[in-house]
Amino acid sequence: MSFDIFLGLALTACILGILFRLSVWFSHAITPTREKIPLSTRLQMAFAGFFKVIFSVRLFRVLQSFFTDVLLQKRVLDKSVYRWLTHSFIFFSFVVLFFLHAVGAFTFDLFGSEYIPTLNPVLSLRNIFGLLALIGVGMAVYRRLSMRRHRLKNYASDWTALGLVGIIMLSGFLLEGTKISSYAVYQSMREDYGFYDGEEAMALEAYWVAENGLHSPNLTQPIDEELVATGSALHQDSSCIECHASNKNAFVSYAFASATGPAAAAIGDQGTVGFFWLLHVGACLGLLAWLPFSKMFHMVSAPFSLAIRRVMGREGDDQVNIINRQMIDLSACTHCGACTVECSAMMFFESFQNDFILPSEKIQYLRKIAAGKKIDEQTLQRLQKGLYVCTSCERCTDICPSGINLKEIFLHARYALLNRGVVETSMLSHFSFPLALAQKFTGNHLQALKAVHEAFLSRFKSLPAMLGTLHLSRQKILDNTSYTSCYSCQRCTNICPVVRNYANPVEALDMMPHQIIYSLGIGNTEMALGAQMIWSCSTCYLCQEHCPNQVELTDIFYRLKNIAINTIETGDAK
Amino acid sequence: MKYAFFQGCNIPVRIEQYARATQAVLHQFDIELVEEREFNCCGYPVRNVDEKSYILPSARNLAVAEKKNLDIAVICNCCFASLMKAKNVLATNSQLLEEINLILAKEDLQYSGVAEVKHFLTILHTDIGLKRLKDKLRYQAKDLKVAVIQGCHILRPREITKFDHSFVPEITNDLVQVTGALNLDWHGKLECCGAALAGINDSLCRDLLNEKISGARQADARFIMPICAYCHLQFDTSQLHLAETPEDILPVLLFPQLLGLCLGLGEQELGIMENKTFTSELLQSLSAMLGPPEDDTKKKKKKRKQPAASS
Repeated sequence: MSFDIFLGLALTACILGILFRLSVWFSHAITPTREKIPLSTRLQMAFAGFFKVIFSVRLFRVLQSFFTDVLLQKRVLDKSVYRWLTHSFIFFSFVVLFFLHAVGAFTFDLFGSEYIPTLNPVLSLRNIFGLLALIGVGMAVYRRLSMRRHRLKNYASDWTALGLVGIIMLSGFLLEGTKISSYAVYQSMREDYGFYDGEEAMALEAYWVAENGLHSPNLTQPIDEELVATGSALHQDSSCIECHASNKNAFVSYAFASATGPAAAAIGDQGTVGFFWLLHVGACLGLLAWLPFSKMFHMVSAPFSLAIRRVMGREGDDQVNIINRQMIDLSACTHCGACTVECSAMMFFESFQNDFILPSEKIQYLRKIAAGKKIDEQTLQRLQKGLYVCTSCERCTDICPSGINLKEIFLHARYALLNRGVVETSMLSHFSFPLALAQKFTGNHLQALKAVHEAFLSRFKSLPAMLGTLHLSRQKILDNTSYTSCYSCQRCTNICPVVRNYANPVEALDMMPHQIIYSLGIGNTEMALGAQMIWSCSTCYLCQEHCPNQVELTDIFYRLKNIAINTIETGDAK
Repeated sequence: MKYAFFQGCNIPVRIEQYARATQAVLHQFDIELVEEREFNCCGYPVRNVDEKSYILPSARNLAVAEKKNLDIAVICNCCFASLMKAKNVLATNSQLLEEINLILAKEDLQYSGVAEVKHFLTILHTDIGLKRLKDKLRYQAKDLKVAVIQGCHILRPREITKFDHSFVPEITNDLVQVTGALNLDWHGKLECCGAALAGINDSLCRDLLNEKISGARQADARFIMPICAYCHLQFDTSQLHLAETPEDILPVLLFPQLLGLCLGLGEQELGIMENKTFTSELLQSLSAMLGPPEDDTKKKKKKRKQPAASS
């Protein structure tokens, strides 16, 4: 009775949770587009897209996705056999155990036969798949631990998910094992079915102890073989055999039974059986209720994201459905970290120590934002930087087992955050190159770039803006001191393709290359740092190559850019 | 001969045909370029931001190659420069080396500097050699004028890249000559395509690109031939955004694609139509320019005689 109540509660939580997660798909968004798309439009476009696919040849791609991407997990297999085995062990075992065991009565009913869990095939299959699932959990735990050195992050929720699956399997074995060894269970069965008394009963018991893992207080090893033989015959004659294949078929639980039997008997085997039943059922119902609120929701969302990927590819054309897709994709992340382990930008994570450089961590936080959670400004700024420190190599998008289109999510999120107007100095890096190449959100890009430019203008003074006396000093702030050998021949300026590009270079660049070197020579770095020239340098190295006195101009410009960015980042006062 | 193939971040996702064509061409000479998934970004994108963060990624890539006991073959100029820069810096800065090795040790990697870095043009020019290239030719181009743009970071600074003569590069010149094409001497050959300014100073970036396109046109180039991946993207993608009419577009042909054709490899294998600026008409006219290789035995004889006479 109480089981039914708890099952009902867990199911309700699961269904309501799933409905809630589904509603988020169409009600939230991360996008730089300012006007909010109403829920009705989102749903309308989603359904329109859905039906367009269902009634077209693209339906084939959905089916293909279901078999190859969802069931066979080919995306994982292509990248790593280890991860594929891990997932397959857990996934297929869960599917088999669900139909064979959890709802076994219904399944067998469907095929017109009776569900008897103590007979084969259930008895042995349950153990085989339970064991495989446990091996899968073990492999997953090992991967999570050993990949930490490759920057894989582990959350409490990752361990909870693995823990729950592990507990379900382990408690299942222990439940079955304690039932096998339990004298109380044996007694009640014998009494219920009214078999044998006296010596015959003793013989049957001997048989069950010797062959079926029963732990009896009446018998001690070694057991008389004749008695066992008699018991065996009695067992064959009785209806026991109709419902009991040898418990050795449940090979894992049988092994547990012999190990835990004495202890269970000492504690009280009825209590032990009850405890493991509670643990097993509790963990199952717990997982059911927790499913929609955790990464286990990928069971629902990943088939969608994988099918959408097959249909839409990496680029979609419909703006509304691009956003719908992003929300579905975000909910399909399992935090497996496959993207992070192979991220091209991994070494920038080591340098800048910002978790959000790792794609899996970006997705985790974006998911929170997408679900409407408030995130503090400091975290948002780190996330903004993490989103920008990305080489746009799309490895993450290529590797994601859930088919998440990470690059599109990052593109939208990057400009959504930049829209807030908080200065992002990383825009001055070459991470901007692929973004400019893609020609997306160009207006947003220029606006954010303007904010960076203004931050520089307010911090540094350019030469034309300087009034009054110039400061000279002997201070050397650069480790590259090649500038000291400049003799102002101006060859650098004369050969510079950037200088050549402007009719009035002083207006466009503030200072010419030779003037920057000269300003370093007189110890006035402030002037050099404020010159637009360093940010207009195309880094072609012509000046450096042509300098007759080996002044390393381009290298020095790089160094000045480093210093200028660092000054803005650390907010150093003048 | 095997190399760990360093493709960088742009090539696998945006210029896959460059990698494929290079692999196909080198395969003809029994050189295998092994794709290595453990490689990471070369570090170039953060060079404006922080020098140390620029060196570390290349050090890891070199350490990965070291662990696999392979040398690195590179296509992208900026990746090449970054790897060479890291090698240079770490050879002299022992403190940084120690610092970096501490980070690499977490992944059981170590940088000691044994892995060599080679640009694929060097492999063609020096390791295989012009003679072997010529012997394998099935076709040679006639009346084909190409404007090679070297890309800056492969030539300069010469102390770091040690690739070729930085004022009068010979490697590309020799290699293009092998294919029979005319390597134009044009105004932008050694200059910047503007890529380093993309997304930072877009108008200047466009100006520099336009200057190169019109320069190559003035020199009567049929194709522009970028060596660097960034240059390629500038000419093959950014150019499309700039061009007002399709006639304005100066099409891109990559060197291994041209060499591949001359070696008798198929257009599909070389991914020529994957160049966005290419059209099937262009492909036809390019094929029409390919003829049997010029028999230069006469020249050879003359050349052989000369040293004999002098000795």
